Amino acid sequence: MRESEDNFEQEMAELREKFAAEADEKIASLESAALTLENNPDDTEQVELLFGAMHTLKGSGGMFGYYKISEFTHDLETLYDFVRKGKLKVTTELLTITLQAIDHLKVLLAQGDDLDKQAEIKHQEKTNHIKAFAKTIINDINNSQPQIEDQPATIKDYDDKEGAATYFISFKPHENLFDNGTRPLYLIDEIHTLGEAFVVPHTETIPVLKDFDPSLCYTWWEIFLATDENLSTIADIFIFVEDESQIVIQKIAEDNLFEFQPFLHYLEVLKTGNVLTDLKDLKKIIDGLPAHQETDNNNAGVPADALTGHFEAPVTEAEPKPEPVPKPAKKPTISSTANAAESTISSIRVSANKVDNLMNLVSEMVTIQARLTMFAEKSKDLELIAIAENVQKLSKQLRDNAFSISLIPIASIMTRFQRLVRDLSASLGKKVKFVIEGQETELDKTIIERISDPLLHILRNSLDHGIETPVERAAAGKPLEGTINFKAFYSGGSIHIRIRDDGSGIDKDRVLEKAISNNLVSAGETPSDKEIMNLIFTPGFSTAKQVSDVSGRGMGMDVVKRKISEVRGDVVIESAKGKGTTITIVLPLTLSIIDGMHVTISGTNFIIPTSSVHKIYSVNHQEVEKAFDNLMIFEGRQIPFLYLRKQFGLNGAVPKREEVLVVKYKNIEVGLIIDKVWGEFQTVLKPLGMHYKNQEFISGGTILGDGSVALVLDPNKIISKLAKGQKNKDE
Amino acid sequence: MSEQEDIKIDHYLTFVLGNETFASHVNHVTKILEMQKITEVPRAPEFMKGVINLRGNVLPVIDGRIKFGLQPKPYTDKTCILVLNIRLEGEQTMVGAIVDAVLDVIEFPEENIKPSPALGSKYSSDFIDGIIKVNEEFIMILNMDAVFSAQEIIELKTGEETAIEDSPVKNTESKNQNQEG
Repeated sequence: MRESEDNFEQEMAELREKFAAEADEKIASLESAALTLENNPDDTEQVELLFGAMHTLKGSGGMFGYYKISEFTHDLETLYDFVRKGKLKVTTELLTITLQAIDHLKVLLAQGDDLDKQAEIKHQEKTNHIKAFAKTIINDINNSQPQIEDQPATIKDYDDKEGAATYFISFKPHENLFDNGTRPLYLIDEIHTLGEAFVVPHTETIPVLKDFDPSLCYTWWEIFLATDENLSTIADIFIFVEDESQIVIQKIAEDNLFEFQPFLHYLEVLKTGNVLTDLKDLKKIIDGLPAHQETDNNNAGVPADALTGHFEAPVTEAEPKPEPVPKPAKKPTISSTANAAESTISSIRVSANKVDNLMNLVSEMVTIQARLTMFAEKSKDLELIAIAENVQKLSKQLRDNAFSISLIPIASIMTRFQRLVRDLSASLGKKVKFVIEGQETELDKTIIERISDPLLHILRNSLDHGIETPVERAAAGKPLEGTINFKAFYSGGSIHIRIRDDGSGIDKDRVLEKAISNNLVSAGETPSDKEIMNLIFTPGFSTAKQVSDVSGRGMGMDVVKRKISEVRGDVVIESAKGKGTTITIVLPLTLSIIDGMHVTISGTNFIIPTSSVHKIYSVNHQEVEKAFDNLMIFEGRQIPFLYLRKQFGLNGAVPKREEVLVVKYKNIEVGLIIDKVWGEFQTVLKPLGMHYKNQEFISGGTILGDGSVALVLDPNKIISKLAKGQKNKDE
Repeated sequence: MSEQEDIKIDHYLTFVLGNETFASHVNHVTKILEMQKITEVPRAPEFMKGVINLRGNVLPVIDGRIKFGLQPKPYTDKTCILVLNIRLEGEQTMVGAIVDAVLDVIEFPEENIKPSPALGSKYSSDFIDGIIKVNEEFIMILNMDAVFSAQEIIELKTGEETAIEDSPVKNTESKNQNQEG
């Protein structure tokens, strides 16, 4: 018994965790829906989404002990119910309140019901604020449209305030109901809270003791309920069991049958033994009641099969002797909102750990497959070669698939940015249109995680320093509303994210002035425009005249640059004074796999990223020897080079001809001389570990087909780290 | 090597470097590999031998002889790579260590471990957790975290014998130095 209690506690904790994760998602979808609505207030789909998400939060919040969430969402839900019924227009005011509420929901979700004092006060404030807002709106609606016509297409519209009606509920839980922690008696208790109820438990399906499994639910219930709540409120009680259970809810009378003696008498009969409720009999009784007319057929929301069997007890007749194992329940469409939300689920939640594991396994598989291919070719066994080829094909598909799983659309972080632009522009008194393009562009999840802060920073800069106030814009002859364009797109082997604003642009003279005063540039120098722009990325540089609390704390763009280089990305900034600024971030498709060129130097294998190699030339060794000042001439151009054999201290036979890989380093072409290029190699990048953290010019290692390790070189770092020491070494 | 109240029996892997026998707590050792082809990493310290493929991951390998200031010697069929789990800058990490030979796994209660000799003696106490006498032979229990995270060659032997290669170090001296505290 104790153990089962503990189990229950544990399961409950797990369920709470699940709820929290789900609620987190719901809140995120609320936020994005609200922001979408702002641009398109007539988007009924978003309204439904908002309503649905709130509805779920309210329902499940209470169920898992988040009573504050449940309570807090209630008024919001009411408001959006009005919106979807067309009684209320979506206004900026409403959306502002919604967004504030969403923020508060995040707090509530993070802290649970036990708020500290401050949070509690805040919670009260927020609750009252929304309550007051909802109240004025409800009053407005009631005053302006006292007798609004019901809209036939929506559910829940009938008999909102018509007093009690009587419902018949048949609740046949699936026998595995206990498995997910549901206690059916709580549900029955909950029904009692709605009004007067009469419950007939059916225990006839409980087997004899030797066949009895205490973990299964054998009992089912028939319930008569007189309530002034509407049908969907009753259905809500069963919202978490509706999938596993057979639930039929029917309105059997438009008034409270408990007030009529013949009905009570009928109930007495039901109580005496295991007599199944026969709604035909009941109908006779009801029809015989004084002043009672036949109930009309406005039971919208009741499942179609239940409707046809109106007063014909569809469930009880279909299964006169209920079997111990109820047939898989046909899902009753008792709550259209819940189902709408369900039908949109086209993806599943998987923990990031699992994805990482999958990626690791696939990487291992790709490695082992390279080995198999090599072995098969050596063996000259045609059958084995054929098998190896098939494995290669499959592993390639598997790899592509696995990598695509770890890609997530950039849209997943857009909400944060939209919020930032919305809130910040308002607080700065600026008008800004935020245009997003290509938010379906997918990036490796690790990259997305790491670039979201830098992106936020860039946006903040654009809003704070870039876009001018409406007055300034008017004076400059620009449209009052500024535009920030956010565009993500694929280009070549990389992903570009471009943030362009039509603000004041960067004042090159001021940048230079500032750089000189900060001793970043000496007074006499005349750097090119590009070099000036690059000064912005120098640590400790900030041009804001005033330090605002938004940006300009002097830790700006250099951090952005560093964070982006950490994911092997690059930032380019372009700006024209008075016209605006464009910042482009170029990112690799993925961090863990790259296309590489397999090269050797003195028998040692290296990989150089294909994307960085522009050209390959072949030279005689003597030419390298003869070269003056580390310069070589290719196609009439002088190209400085690094002789990697020497740089890496590799001794061994020098081939007659060597190859030069021309890579671009800060717009200068630099040649890297190696022995031989063998071909392209799909490179699974593995870290070398902390013992090699000083070998910055190596981005990692990879496993070749023969199982040996090849080092993956970073051409940029090779040039920046090794070029300085070159001259001394060569002497 | 915590100071627990009960008698703790610990297991140690013993291995040879030069003429000395060392021991590592088995918790540090995850695997023992045969010698294999090592990919050299350019411009790294001499004792950083390179990297190998450990089940599809890249494992840095340290040459124990060079690390301990011994002359490099050609590898034999007894040469092994110990795959070690160590703490480096507060993070758990894996590293391979090339040793001349692996001997045995021995067990003895913690109380048999004598503290490492005081500073200024022949052995640097920074890298030695203690000394144990087994079959009339002294075995140094290495502080693996310290030894394999240090960025330089370890002067395991302080003073006069540093440069001597494979000199038959008699353990009698260290025996005398086993004063308590």
